[in-house]
Amino acid sequence: MHSVECEDVWMIYRSLFSEKVALKEVNLKIPRNKIYGILGPNGAGKTTLISLMATLLRQTRGRIEVLGYDTISEFREIRKRINIASGNPNLIWSLTVYENLRYYSLLYGINDRKAVEELIKEFELEEFRDVEFNKLSTGSKQKLILARAFVNNPELVFLDEPTKGLDPPVARRLREKIRFLQKDLGITIVLTTHYMSEAEMLCDRITFINRGKIVAEGTKEELKRLLKMRDKITIEIEGIVPDLRLEGVFAVERDGNQLSFYVDSAEARLWEIAKEVARFGRIKNISVKEVDLEDVFNELAK
Amino acid sequence: MSSTNLRSEIYKTIGFTYRNYIITKRNFFTLFETLFWPIIGLISVGLMGAYLNLDKNYLAFILIGAVTLSVLQVSQLDVAYVLLFDMWSKSLRYTFVTPISIFNMIFGAWFFGAFRGLVAFLILVVSGKFLFDLNLLIDPVGLFIFLLGIFLSAMIIGTLTCSLLLIFGYRAEVSAWTLTAIFMLLCGIYYPVTLLPPGLREMAYAIPLTHFLEFYRSFYGFSPSTNNPALIGYSLSFLFLILLFLTLMWASDRARKRGTVTQFSE
Repeated sequence: MHSVECEDVWMIYRSLFSEKVALKEVNLKIPRNKIYGILGPNGAGKTTLISLMATLLRQTRGRIEVLGYDTISEFREIRKRINIASGNPNLIWSLTVYENLRYYSLLYGINDRKAVEELIKEFELEEFRDVEFNKLSTGSKQKLILARAFVNNPELVFLDEPTKGLDPPVARRLREKIRFLQKDLGITIVLTTHYMSEAEMLCDRITFINRGKIVAEGTKEELKRLLKMRDKITIEIEGIVPDLRLEGVFAVERDGNQLSFYVDSAEARLWEIAKEVARFGRIKNISVKEVDLEDVFNELAK
Repeated sequence: MSSTNLRSEIYKTIGFTYRNYIITKRNFFTLFETLFWPIIGLISVGLMGAYLNLDKNYLAFILIGAVTLSVLQVSQLDVAYVLLFDMWSKSLRYTFVTPISIFNMIFGAWFFGAFRGLVAFLILVVSGKFLFDLNLLIDPVGLFIFLLGIFLSAMIIGTLTCSLLLIFGYRAEVSAWTLTAIFMLLCGIYYPVTLLPPGLREMAYAIPLTHFLEFYRSFYGFSPSTNNPALIGYSLSFLFLILLFLTLMWASDRARKRGTVTQFSE
């Protein structure tokens, strides 16, 4: 059984005078006990999709099953078993770290002070235990938001851009924590992110979403293969190179005097490309690297 | 319902009581609402009565209005704030993603609202006795029926505010402070509702609080316009509550369809 199954899901936001299609024809199966990434540009529909799965929204059409329960008719059963954390760290301002966690655990029907204390320890929030939410640093707020997502021992956690706006070292520690918790607890995590490095580091599988539609799905390797992009050859040249059409080149990016060629195999294509480019000027530098998720993302977002 | 489920429902309800308690304890503004304004209201109305040279029963008539207004306002705010606290702190999604029902939310907040209302009432009993020789404890059973009626009215106003907030968003915020005043104006805060023009008078009789006020004022020699005002008040209260709970359920579902919950969390 999958953690989440979406079948022809549509989400249309309607108001009195307008209608906006946020998601269309979404079909998706999220496996259990994995970290699953939902990637896409701003406004692609990532947060809408995650909110639908978390039962905060109700789809206009289609069917969503979370942990075997229907999100429309059995949403309360789902809510017992899931939780969510967002990159916009907002909780009740005047409640302390302890009080916020205690309050939310009560809302899950759990009255366990010891478990709250353990959670505070687990997320290294001991020194801020009695500090009100609005007096915490952004990093500590984010830690608390993440700790809150574990008050009910969920089977499935949705993380909506969990490291947004954090300093790189804090973000890195939080990512390590997410990976550790997923492995330690054997749960499913569905996360949206803007940071490709985050997706690369954390996600076992990824879906790309653009303009409300899923454009690709698979493991990182599968996605790269899907686009037949394996290597990126970057050439810096003195001179102007016109548009080139070369065999085995799937895309070309220009950045000033720098040209990037996405190819199936650098080994097989490098000599041919370099020879062609050299006709238009002196080559200053050549570099080759394996295509990363960001390159795949850029290609899919076009 | 199994005992585990029942316990879980109790904890969910207590969760809201706990939150409102902490916020009240820490927030000077809410303490002010409980202590300061009710006393100011009582003193100003009582002094006006003294200036007008009202006899003891008439003074009791208007002071009961002032006490009711304060207790109702203090109690209903807790219910109305149950959503507003989340909307102001943009944490609505974290409340709505939990397996709570609207009953947990409303009753949890209401318990604390009733407690705050009771505290305000006790302060007013002592102040009323000390300052104006007002005896609010004239009939303990009657007082219990009257107070419970006020607290039910608070639940009605608070639930109505919550529904309006989910339907109209921040535009409905003002209803948290204004609905009580409108209700009290119709219910005969300092006058009998027979003074109201036709149309408004019928509306007044449709509001439970009108009957609770008539019920308690009857202990001070003012005859009610119906035979059993307390029974009518309670019947109307339960009818209103059923309708409002259905409205709030509909408004929650509508909020899920329209994305209101996520909008208020950004």
